[in-house]
Amino acid sequence: MTQVYDPTAPSPEALQNMRRAVNDLSGKVVGFIDNAKPNFNLLADDIAELLTTRFGVKTVIKRAKRGASMPATQEVIDELAAQCDLVVTGSGD
Amino acid sequence: MSAVPATPLTRAMLVEAPDDLDELIEFFHARRWSDGLPVVPPTRERVERMLSCTPRKPDELIAKVAPGFGAATVERIAINAVMAGCRADYLPVLIAAVQAMAAPEFNLQGIQATTNPVAVWLVVNGPIAEQLGVNGGMNCLGQGTVANATLGRALRLILQNLGGALPGEMDRATQGMPGKFSFCCAENEAQSPWEALHVERGFKRDQSTVTVIGAAGTHNMNTHAKDADDLIRVIADTMAFPTSNDYWISGEPWIIMSPEHAEVMHAGGLSKADVKRRLWEASKMSAGRMAKMELARTQTARSEELGTITTDTLLPVSRGPEGIGILVAGGPGTHSVYVASFGDARSVTREVL
Repeated sequence: MTQVYDPTAPSPEALQNMRRAVNDLSGKVVGFIDNAKPNFNLLADDIAELLTTRFGVKTVIKRAKRGASMPATQEVIDELAAQCDLVVTGSGD
Repeated sequence: MSAVPATPLTRAMLVEAPDDLDELIEFFHARRWSDGLPVVPPTRERVERMLSCTPRKPDELIAKVAPGFGAATVERIAINAVMAGCRADYLPVLIAAVQAMAAPEFNLQGIQATTNPVAVWLVVNGPIAEQLGVNGGMNCLGQGTVANATLGRALRLILQNLGGALPGEMDRATQGMPGKFSFCCAENEAQSPWEALHVERGFKRDQSTVTVIGAAGTHNMNTHAKDADDLIRVIADTMAFPTSNDYWISGEPWIIMSPEHAEVMHAGGLSKADVKRRLWEASKMSAGRMAKMELARTQTARSEELGTITTDTLLPVSRGPEGIGILVAGGPGTHSVYVASFGDARSVTREVL
């Protein structure tokens, strides 16, 4: 046997934990970050309607990014963090 | 294969592997530690030899590489450089390249995870290019030069092994592109009529730098034009195509200009900044050429920049003329290269120390 180095790097040390669990959607404020991919806004609209009519969600806040490959602005992140119980980030087409 | 403990955790781990070369190559393939080509085994001796070419400590953290955010220590960069076949004195170039890729404006997370065919193009400027033999002349984007081939390959192994962007997993490229194996060259500073890229960006001519660029392809522009106006017109016309990322999001496209074409521009009285300005104006594209979906995306992405966008709007390729990159490279011939960009990424230059 010979010895060689493992060329990979370990994952970041800290696990990312949810700030708090959400067990019930009733009365909650839900945020959506629209990733600007075509049709995501339509999907978010439908899900928002389901959340409010079937699951008792109080309010849905939707904010869009300029493009899928760029982060949301700090202003949007701050706003959603302050107002929402949970946030759904858009992914895929 | 049992792991051989190494301390502390910031140091890379030695593992036991087969002695037989064929089996050893398969050992790397099986773990997805290679790019699909055989690698040079990163033994303790080879890695130590490479580390001797930098005063930095092996456990110094250079950056965390998106999207997996693995820790790119000097040692881990050296390990991947050995695997790629780099000579020991190439290490400082790769350290600077990792620093550059970690700059937020480069948007490495987007580049690594996108469906687009984006490679990281590594450009070397200054005296180190000649010292290491990085080719900026004939066939500089092709095969046959050790420094170009192995530096670009090492960067890819770093992106995959430290960034965790494995094809089909976090690397979501629809087809990818050959430049993802290796994409590295120098500028042909000796035959450029203009200031070199690093000088344009505020470095001294005798400083050495690397520039990283999110490149989405290389498109041959073959023209025997001998008049600067004529040359501007045909290059600008090539830049404007409706499926380009640059137009919907305002990008940072590049022209790799052959020394002959650069000389035509220079003889026409144009500085590098003049060429950028002329190209920026002449390459504006009617938004109506885009598919309806892309027009809608453009309206979302660029209305803040351009106001109301209709099918009649003339879209510039970048926010301003300075957003077009120009690199003089290559040998004799009437070919320049258009390098469309990822769009949402800005090139970054760092000094090689």
